[in-house]
Amino acid sequence: MALIKLKHINKQYDDGFVALKNINLKIESGKFYSLLGPSGSGKSTILRIIAGFSHPSQGQVLFDGQDITDLDPSKRQINTVFQNYALFPHLNVFDNVAFGLKIKKMPLRKIKPAVKEALKMVRLSGFANREISELSGGQQQRVAIARAIVNQPKVLLLDESLSALDKRLRKEMQFELRAIQKKLGITFIFVTHDQEEALSMSDQIFVLNNGEIQQSGTPVDIYDEPINDFVARFIGDSNILPGRMIKDYEVEFANQRFKCADAGMRPNEKVEIVIRPEDLDITEPDQGKLVVTAQTQLFLGDHFEIKALDTDENEWLIHSTNACSLNQRLGLYFDPEDIHVMRKHESQADFDARLESYEEESNVQ
Amino acid sequence: MFSKKTRTLFIVPYLLWIFLFVILPILLILWYSFTDSNNHFTLANFALFFKNGTFLKMMLNSFWYALIITVVTLLISYPAAYFLTKVKNSQIWLLLIILPTWINLLLKAYAFIGIFSNGGLFNQFLHLFGIGPVNFLFTDFAFIFVASYIEIPFMILPIYSAIKEINPNLIQASEDLGASHWQTFKYVLWPLSRPGVESGIQAIFIPSLSLFMLTRLIGGNKVITLGTAIEEYFMTTMNWNMGSTIGVILIALMVIVMLVTGKTRKRKKVNL
Amino acid sequence: MKKKHFFAKIYLTFVLIMLYVPIFYLIYFSFSSGKNMNKFEHFTLAHYQTLFLDNRLLTIFLETILLAILSSLVATIIGTFGAIAISNLNKKGHKNTLLAFNNVLMVSPDVIIGASFLIFFTALGMGLNFGSVLLSHIAFSIPIVVLMVLPRLKDLDLALIDAARDLGANNFQVFTNVIIPAIMPGVFAGMFMALTYSLDDFAVTFFVTGNGFSTLSVEIYSRARQGIDLEINALSTVMFLFVLILVLIYYLMTTKKGKRGKRMLGGVVK
Repeated sequence: MALIKLKHINKQYDDGFVALKNINLKIESGKFYSLLGPSGSGKSTILRIIAGFSHPSQGQVLFDGQDITDLDPSKRQINTVFQNYALFPHLNVFDNVAFGLKIKKMPLRKIKPAVKEALKMVRLSGFANREISELSGGQQQRVAIARAIVNQPKVLLLDESLSALDKRLRKEMQFELRAIQKKLGITFIFVTHDQEEALSMSDQIFVLNNGEIQQSGTPVDIYDEPINDFVARFIGDSNILPGRMIKDYEVEFANQRFKCADAGMRPNEKVEIVIRPEDLDITEPDQGKLVVTAQTQLFLGDHFEIKALDTDENEWLIHSTNACSLNQRLGLYFDPEDIHVMRKHESQADFDARLESYEEESNVQ
Repeated sequence: MFSKKTRTLFIVPYLLWIFLFVILPILLILWYSFTDSNNHFTLANFALFFKNGTFLKMMLNSFWYALIITVVTLLISYPAAYFLTKVKNSQIWLLLIILPTWINLLLKAYAFIGIFSNGGLFNQFLHLFGIGPVNFLFTDFAFIFVASYIEIPFMILPIYSAIKEINPNLIQASEDLGASHWQTFKYVLWPLSRPGVESGIQAIFIPSLSLFMLTRLIGGNKVITLGTAIEEYFMTTMNWNMGSTIGVILIALMVIVMLVTGKTRKRKKVNL
Repeated sequence: MKKKHFFAKIYLTFVLIMLYVPIFYLIYFSFSSGKNMNKFEHFTLAHYQTLFLDNRLLTIFLETILLAILSSLVATIIGTFGAIAISNLNKKGHKNTLLAFNNVLMVSPDVIIGASFLIFFTALGMGLNFGSVLLSHIAFSIPIVVLMVLPRLKDLDLALIDAARDLGANNFQVFTNVIIPAIMPGVFAGMFMALTYSLDDFAVTFFVTGNGFSTLSVEIYSRARQGIDLEINALSTVMFLFVLILVLIYYLMTTKKGKRGKRMLGGVVK
């Protein structure tokens, strides 16, 4: 059974701004979720509604089957790790972590081992008597996590928690957060605008834009089968071209016809196709499915990013481990599975049903 | 953040204070200024003030003294505030400058009775140059000197905080763009520190209109300001109506000064 | 660069000498056996002896301090609650109106405050005594407390309040465990300012006090009008030391923030 359910949540502010439109989602226990979207997409608003800091204009929040829409945040079994940590500056590490337990009037002899355990979990043993101002950003982050998990919440909410850290520390914390989540076995809901972060940590991702859930699914699903061009552009780099579905398993774009793995659309339906830059292989011009001319080339450390134009003036982004020379003619090769076809204005339910139907079909074949 | 009931509980004593000690006293002083000793409405007090040359002269005098005191303090304080931002251990220097403000003003005034007396420190100093003895006590010079002395820290503080807030890169940028020290001061430092100067001026100009104890102790009866006159009417001649009238005029002047120094400066537009 | 700093120090030293000469001049002559501040005769502590046997002056000294403590305490409580109420107002217009009223007494010349309070107390039929002086001191100290506390409330990270509620705190616990510790430096600064306002005031007290009660400022004024009296010099020394101690206490209190906060939480939550 779902631990948290949001039913038809709408949020409109007094000034008329609509932050959320008909949000429905289910959160199961023990999983790592990410709410992913650009700023202003409504992801933090969802988090604040789950935490209880904000109340939906319409809709219901269910926790373990109970309606908690209007329950005070202090009474929810949910704790939050805030964006800038919101550590109490007048308290030291111990008192910050112990805050929730003291509020619950737990005796000090029980508080001490609990705080010790929480600090150990975030690898800050021995930091109990430090002042907050003496800690680095990464350490403050850990204290904020310890302060939340010491209350043994069923759900931990993390609001852009890693955004203030530098890149190396962020990578480190990603691993650590995932490890803490596995160890505690509780649900994490992580808000982020960083698609890499969401892809690498989550069991399940909700992609949001303009107050609506665009797509939900596992990281692999979302990366491989983006539902629309917003998701395709937001998750990773991609080449997006207008195309036409000739028939099942055959699509036309760049004035050529190609075999593909998609089906279930009307013949001649106008579609958009997505090909990821890393799925494009460079070959000799006569062996490629497409011929392009290299325009610019950037070395990005582990690969080259090449921009090229085909004869139809479409721009192609290619990730290649080998360099090419400028104005060189290149052949591009890709497999039928690398072509992702997106219908326009397709809902997630229809999208899932369509994928399922021809996946079954291909299994039969 | 709080329930309505708690908010009411918080604000009631404060609103009561505003009503009893801000609104009511203003209304009372206005009432007194427009009435005579029998509580009848009259404009005679104001008529007397503006027709009688001595009152107008006193008003101009007050203004003149306040202006000189403000200018003298500004001239001494601006460099001091600027240097304060430059030296090491500026916190200690700052503390040393603030410390004298916590010494009772009357004690400092009293010290100058000794310093300015005929055999006092000031005349002993002048004697070294073969000048003197000059009678300083009970002159306008003494009044201006002591008033400026008392106000200097109050001018240094706001200017110091204003200069400290200026990003040092701006000064470097100005010099990098070829400005001389003077040009940097004129086009960068001064305009950016002006809010501090303005609040300094407000903190000094208005109070120096009412330093009646200094005019009495140091200025003798030669220096009479609006403040001195108010004190005289309230405490000596007991004509509260006339005293209130002068008070209302002082308030009006104060409002004008604040409007002049506090008005939002418009940026000059450039036509390209 | 070095040369510039050297000049800066010279200038500041000059300003400091100017600021301190009158004070040390007073202190210096408090040890002179003479009758004026022109020539130091012989070293003596006679003026201190007179001072400590002067019951009238000592009473006034203690009453002045009592007045300062009482007025700053009451002003701090009313002002702090006022500041919290102001920062909680939703309408910007209401906020600005209250702030404008708040600032009236900040910018008014002392004589106007004194004169209008005198009229006010007389209109109410109140006697001019310790009570009227205390009320006046509370009245003119409230706005500075509000002005010192408001920025703290404005800087208060609203996420801290969310965090406390997230961790189970109710409204009262949020107030005592988060808001009060966060604004405490402002409250202390406000109280300290109120204390110095009260100790320093002469003009307002001069207007609203009667025969029965006097503060040090008023007493010094009336004595100084009679001419030089080296007992006042001795008093200056004592006051200077008093101020030094007060400043020292204040600095010690404001620099040890962390420890104080810890004590507070422990006291409230347990």
